[in-house]
Amino acid sequence: MKFISLFRRSAVWAAVLLTLGLHLRASEVSALWAERVKCVVAVEYYTETEADRRPSISYGTVIDANGTIILPSVAVNPRAMPSQLKDFKVYRPGNPNSLPAQYLGQDALTGWHFVRVDEASRKELTPVTAFVVKDTPEPAMADEVWGIGLRNKDEDFQPYLLSSHIAIVQSLPQRTAIAQQEVAGPGLPVFNRAGAFIGLAASSFGSNFIQFSREDRGGFPVIMVNVEESGAFQTAAEVLPYLSRVPQNIYGRPLAWLGAYGLEPMDPDVAKFLNLSGQSGVVVSEVLDGSPADKGGLKDRDLLIAIDGQPLPRFKPDRVILSYIDREVQRRHPGDTMALTVLRGSDRVELKVTLGEEPRLVSEADRKYFDRLGLTAREFVSDDAVARRVKSTELSGVIAHYVKPNSPAAAGGLRPDDWIKEIDGVEVKTYAAAAERLAAIEAGKIQTECVLLVSRGGVTSVLHVKLQP
Amino acid sequence: MKSFLTRSIFTLSLFLTVTAAHAAMSRGFNQLLDAVVRIDVREVAFEAGSKRLASSIGSGVILSDEGLILTNAHVASPRAVEISVTLASLERVSAKLVGWDHWTDLALLRIDLAEVKRRKLKFDHADFGDSDKLFPGQTVFAVGTPHGLTRTVTRGIISNNNRYFEDRSGVNGYETGAFNTWLQTDAAINPGNSGGPLVTEDGRVVGINARGYVGADNLGFAIPANVARRVTAELVKSGVVTRSYLGIIPGALQDLEGFYSLSSNTGMLVNGVDAGSPAARAGLRGGDIVLAINGTKVDGRFEEQLPAIQNLVASLPVGTTVKLAVKRGAELRDFTVQTEKLESRVGEEWVFEKWGLSVRKVSRAYARENQLNDTTGVLVIGVQPGFPADVAGLSRGDIIVKINQQAVSSLAAMKNVHEAFAAKPAPVLVEVQRNRQVSLYVLKP
Repeated sequence: MKFISLFRRSAVWAAVLLTLGLHLRASEVSALWAERVKCVVAVEYYTETEADRRPSISYGTVIDANGTIILPSVAVNPRAMPSQLKDFKVYRPGNPNSLPAQYLGQDALTGWHFVRVDEASRKELTPVTAFVVKDTPEPAMADEVWGIGLRNKDEDFQPYLLSSHIAIVQSLPQRTAIAQQEVAGPGLPVFNRAGAFIGLAASSFGSNFIQFSREDRGGFPVIMVNVEESGAFQTAAEVLPYLSRVPQNIYGRPLAWLGAYGLEPMDPDVAKFLNLSGQSGVVVSEVLDGSPADKGGLKDRDLLIAIDGQPLPRFKPDRVILSYIDREVQRRHPGDTMALTVLRGSDRVELKVTLGEEPRLVSEADRKYFDRLGLTAREFVSDDAVARRVKSTELSGVIAHYVKPNSPAAAGGLRPDDWIKEIDGVEVKTYAAAAERLAAIEAGKIQTECVLLVSRGGVTSVLHVKLQP
Repeated sequence: MKSFLTRSIFTLSLFLTVTAAHAAMSRGFNQLLDAVVRIDVREVAFEAGSKRLASSIGSGVILSDEGLILTNAHVASPRAVEISVTLASLERVSAKLVGWDHWTDLALLRIDLAEVKRRKLKFDHADFGDSDKLFPGQTVFAVGTPHGLTRTVTRGIISNNNRYFEDRSGVNGYETGAFNTWLQTDAAINPGNSGGPLVTEDGRVVGINARGYVGADNLGFAIPANVARRVTAELVKSGVVTRSYLGIIPGALQDLEGFYSLSSNTGMLVNGVDAGSPAARAGLRGGDIVLAINGTKVDGRFEEQLPAIQNLVASLPVGTTVKLAVKRGAELRDFTVQTEKLESRVGEEWVFEKWGLSVRKVSRAYARENQLNDTTGVLVIGVQPGFPADVAGLSRGDIIVKINQQAVSSLAAMKNVHEAFAAKPAPVLVEVQRNRQVSLYVLKP
């Protein structure tokens, strides 16, 4: 399947070569290829949960002489905890032997995950910065660009050539070039004809298709996403300034926090209605209690129209403004101020918000698996409170993060994401208290059953969990 | 188990006409057959962003010489615009809805007696039997029109005379089953049997057939006659059944007596309380045990026992002060709670045809269930493709909270804006809440 598509692509490319005579020649490529292929890798790691251990593979680009590698944000499931990510291995293209590596964390601004190869192996790799040529202009429509794709693990991640021409360059909000066809594996670099680094391939965009079958002649619309190759890349100017953002810890802290929840863009019709044509605006659905936004005077349903006096620019599509605002927060540090202009009813209100530190995330929450009960109890964090519409300042109880199928906890009616508020009639005030209580129950010294008061979808119920003797 | 029941029970639309009587049948049974009618209903459906008419067929049983007919709430509802009844003589007459009660899935119709008199038509009426005296194994008959086969009498037994199930949306989206248990029978009940009577050999109506399991063999359910008798009396008197509400969500105590240090067959577990309800305001919470209601001891050990307890509260006049004896941990204490009027989650529905928008008013119960601050707003239940609401980006499940920057406190307010739009089309700004995200949209002419 993959071979066929590769064959087609090279056939098209050969045809273009013949007709235009403007394109990469074999001699040019081979000279550039050997060096540049050393800055791309495939990274394999395992996600270990209570129930299983699953491998994931993604592509990465080497960014410095310390063996640091960046992976695209989609490389890691956001629900996974950093401590569940195990056994990072880095594969060089075409080489079956892996190099051991460490996970360094995710950067909130770029979304990149950082991985670092162990010291002894670093000399095997070349950083992509070696191919940065000063004053290389931003790629423009019709420019020819090329990059590297990697085959699957069973083919030793053999590298292959991808090339295309730029179709359009857009702000999403980062400057993003979209080529006519796929130009590189997602997360891998893109070069110009001279071999200069001009961008980093993003996750590929979905394409719309209609699927027909014999049973259903009507056709069924589907969106197909190519996960192995991408035709979109962020330009070098959106990549190079951020390569130094190696996380200081695996949680990527410090993390700037505003505390405005549920931002929704307005469309041009609404902008016109509100006499805001030519710019963008977002409705703040809710301001979280006690958050920096709350302290700074932002209110539920304010319409945010400017940051630091700059009207929010209009992007296409409308939703891009959300990434723009997120990046405006993440490029700052806790303690920095942000001037916000909002429309509140018909009043224009100027606010100064001092950003705070993001509260503990689900991925950072303490948790413990109780094997006899078949339950992972997890600390209740601010995001849990937000999801359950309770005050994010009142944190109590624990979350049933995982319930093992057919375990005593499952037989008692407990389900994942249930909020355990009482154990044996005693209110669970902290995670530590719950963990201690559950451990005692599991030890079975006092009792072989417990009664849990849990809340699910805003409705509480009393569950009875019996341990097998 | 409960969720399985809820999912797999469906509502039977059943109609029946039966005239042929078995020679050996009792006089009572023959009389019953002359009292069973087919009901054709045309009703308004709002869901598609436009006002449409839908037709359905059901059955009913005439209960009095004044032409009162009992049927299912899911056969005849207040949305009905035309109801016609086919008598056992095969003559058709029109009828009007007297009232309905979705909680028990019952509706009461009245035949147009003037028309009956003018056309010199005749009908007979059936009588209720005592459903409390039924016993498992007792022979019963279901009369109806399964799958369009008119005049079908099926025979079976009472399979269970105290079956519990509650369905949050069992009667065309309305709640049912919280206040009564049901009769289960293996008399064949199929789509087309709904609203018809379940009768004993002497022709006494002991139940009203309402539901069956999809894909199961002969698992049918009927509303007991003793429930139907009470509801009928209320509907005749005032056209509605008014119930009291406290907001307690009960649970079965089974297996938990030891934990709560209770002797068996004592008390009702409070699984939870509706946010903002009288019970919540009084301080009741999940895990409490209600031992007595106004001095009457309650026993909610099994789920079959819960509807009777719920009905004990529901039967009180609205605004009654109820004293609940409650055990919380080792502590015994009394709570005093004043009842509210019970409301459905389903609010009044309407369609704004120029916008292609069907809505339902946010009710108190809906607001509580969805953790909304109050009852402001209307829920979008349908949009018509290509009309302003659809073009703007509204979709089913959205809650419109403001229109032209004014809070939507009533349907009437919104109707005014719609009328103005119809008279002189101009852009309308709507503020919409989808889950918890708030967005703005413009409805353009």
